[in-house]
Amino acid sequence: MNAPTDFHLSHFQAMTLFALLISIAFGFLSRRRTNERVKYIIWSLFLFLLIGVGIGWAMYPFSR
Amino acid sequence: MPDDTATGVTTAAAAIAAAPEHHQRNEVLAVAIGAAGWLVPGLGHALQRMWGRALGCFLTVGALVFLGVGMRGNLFGSDGGDAFGMLGYVADLGTGSFYFVARALETQGSDVAHAEGDYGTRFLAAAGVLNLLAALHAYEAARGRKA
Repeated sequence: MNAPTDFHLSHFQAMTLFALLISIAFGFLSRRRTNERVKYIIWSLFLFLLIGVGIGWAMYPFSR
Repeated sequence: MPDDTATGVTTAAAAIAAAPEHHQRNEVLAVAIGAAGWLVPGLGHALQRMWGRALGCFLTVGALVFLGVGMRGNLFGSDGGDAFGMLGYVADLGTGSFYFVARALETQGSDVAHAEGDYGTRFLAAAGVLNLLAALHAYEAARGRKA
């Protein structure tokens, strides 16, 4: 089998993609109706990104 | 009237006697569904006609594995060495058959010297843990605990 193309993603792109996929999976597993799933996915994605960026900023003073 | 009562009692007694056997059969079926869900992401839900969840699990776990391999993440083997290696192996093995697909795809090996490889390792481990969660969900649904 051929290996998939090497992906070169920035930190933010990787985090966003990860957050999106996990949010979709959680949304599908924990909610039954489509509109509830969409709401859950958007809210979960938003929190993932907010907390991720927040932790990034909190670590900034210790990065050097 | 007494005959009806006697028949009713007999039927109830038969139902009570058959209950453990029925329960055991359901439990075996639920375990089989959970195992199927682990082996092929989404299959546990597909067997219960939960098509949306089945597709969601299959695509998200598949995408995480594909991206993890594409980013050249570390796919742990059984000879991990230390406890963290074993933990990583268990997490990676959580993807079931996709673990072997990832092994076949990652012909160049891992490259954790770069950030992408490190992220790829997390993607692969997250795919495994997510699939284990989905398999557990399918098992619980088969037992009638949640849906």
